[in-house]
Amino acid sequence: MSDAYVSLKNLTLAYGKTVVVPDLNLDVRKGELIALLGPSGCGKTTAMRSIAGLMAPKSGTISIDGVDITRTPANKRGIGLVFQSYALFPHLSVFENVAFGLRLKKLPKAKIASMVEQGLQTVGLAHLSDRKPEDMSGGQQQRLSLARSLVMEPKVLLLDEPLSNLDARLRLEMRNELQRLQRDTGITMIFVTHDQAEALALADRIVLMKDGIVEQLGTPDELYNAPNSKFAADFFGFENIFEIEGSEIVGRTGRLTVLIDAKEGYLAWRPSAITIGSGPHQGTISSMAFAGELREYIIEAPLGQIKVTTPSSTPPFDIGSPIAFDLAIDKARHLSKNGEET
Amino acid sequence: MYSKWTTRLIIGLTLTFLIGPFFIIILAGLSDGEFMTFPPDGISLRWYAKVFTVESFRDSFKLSMFLAIFGTIAALILGVPAAYAISRYKIPYGETIKTIVAAPIIVPGIIVGLALLRYLVVPLNFTVTLALFMAHTALILPYAVRVVSSSMNNLRSDMEEAAVLLGCSRLGAFTRVVLPNIQSGVLAAFILGFVTSFNQVPVSLFLSGPGVRTLPIDMLSYMEITYDPSVAALSALLALLSVVIVFMAEKFLGFSRYV
Repeated sequence: MSDAYVSLKNLTLAYGKTVVVPDLNLDVRKGELIALLGPSGCGKTTAMRSIAGLMAPKSGTISIDGVDITRTPANKRGIGLVFQSYALFPHLSVFENVAFGLRLKKLPKAKIASMVEQGLQTVGLAHLSDRKPEDMSGGQQQRLSLARSLVMEPKVLLLDEPLSNLDARLRLEMRNELQRLQRDTGITMIFVTHDQAEALALADRIVLMKDGIVEQLGTPDELYNAPNSKFAADFFGFENIFEIEGSEIVGRTGRLTVLIDAKEGYLAWRPSAITIGSGPHQGTISSMAFAGELREYIIEAPLGQIKVTTPSSTPPFDIGSPIAFDLAIDKARHLSKNGEET
Repeated sequence: MYSKWTTRLIIGLTLTFLIGPFFIIILAGLSDGEFMTFPPDGISLRWYAKVFTVESFRDSFKLSMFLAIFGTIAALILGVPAAYAISRYKIPYGETIKTIVAAPIIVPGIIVGLALLRYLVVPLNFTVTLALFMAHTALILPYAVRVVSSSMNNLRSDMEEAAVLLGCSRLGAFTRVVLPNIQSGVLAAFILGFVTSFNQVPVSLFLSGPGVRTLPIDMLSYMEITYDPSVAALSALLALLSVVIVFMAEKFLGFSRYV
């Protein structure tokens, strides 16, 4: 990509002899908000730490704005990182926490004061500048951590699980805040998360990682609606995935003949894409859970277990009762086997 | 369980056992007589006054202060980086190093003293003062490492990484972020080291030479010749000094968290 701002090329990252990320290539555009998404151990945090310079890559290059920074020490990179634990300095006041990096730059006092002031204003903490971090709530601590990085005007801002330590209401607030900040400052942000909902809501593009390899890269819309691998589909809520063999799909306990063109790969259905109450197949409802807007059913069928959801506004089905269901082909997503382990 | 009065009696006896000797020493030093007796033979402050006029006490007090202060500082200079390395990095044989560092407390002081005398002072011609200084440093080191690393363990390493990303060097992150946050641990280690060194007898006993004695050793040898109440008076003054130090440490630093 010619307009790449942050560019990772053939990056190999290892702890000792354990290779965590074998060959990572990634281009991030200027001003983009990118999510590195994946289960724990997929190498997303390691990748982020290497961009920050906290970990030296085994091979490959990292460049920002065309400049190779692979060998630049962390304190000279001009990259900000908001730690998951916030990593605030407990012995310093809110003001001094934000001023920390500016003082190291040996800027004039008045300039530091006004920059800190403005930084705290941006995250809505101006009235707390004399507090100690320990006297603040989790949400405030995170915004302080954000302000501390932002006043340094970093080329790239990295965020490690920025929403995971917050409760539901604060999470929404912070999400809006991060999007607003990105709009206002045009800063390039890369954040790491294991939560698909977080990635979908916040990112311009999502990098889905598995075992150190990019499984799929695309907009939230693409990943959610058009995952192209079994792993991606599973991660984005296609909970019923069956392998195709000839003209049949294979479940855990049985097979089902379906009319499909493809001869191999997988067919995947979201729980909401399966209709129950009518259809050509039979099963028994083995459990039901009420989840607010939806009811979640598990159906035992000759094929195996099937997860189905129905709107909770419709009347419930009884546990233990036989039920008809339909695995409609036009509602399934076909996944090719490419890139999958065999 | 026990009745209220039994409990009080047990507590009272325990406290008497622990603090009683302290009062006996204070009172014995207040005696007006020529010999150390209890109960005191009349009341006067003359033995407390005499303490300050005995020249060997003054010299050995100076030596003991020197050893306690500079021995502790030396132990901290060695111990703080050691504590940092042990608690921060998975260094090879980290546990072994911890054990070795703790050795001077585990090995009886008599043995440490003898070993230092036999292998440093005699064959290498170290002066007694230098040997004493080294011995005290070694004895304080375990306390320094333990106390400082326990306050270091509460410190997350990502704080240092955050400092580095804000432009600090590694060393800068240590002095600007780590040190301020382990300050009270370092002070606690200093006080503990100071008291340990000042009260040290067995090792110092072996490493005394002509005119070079620490205060406790000097008091011992003074008593062998003169059994007057001045030693009791001096003991009382030293005990008071320790109490004041520990009390202040507790008040200002919450000392008991570290020991």
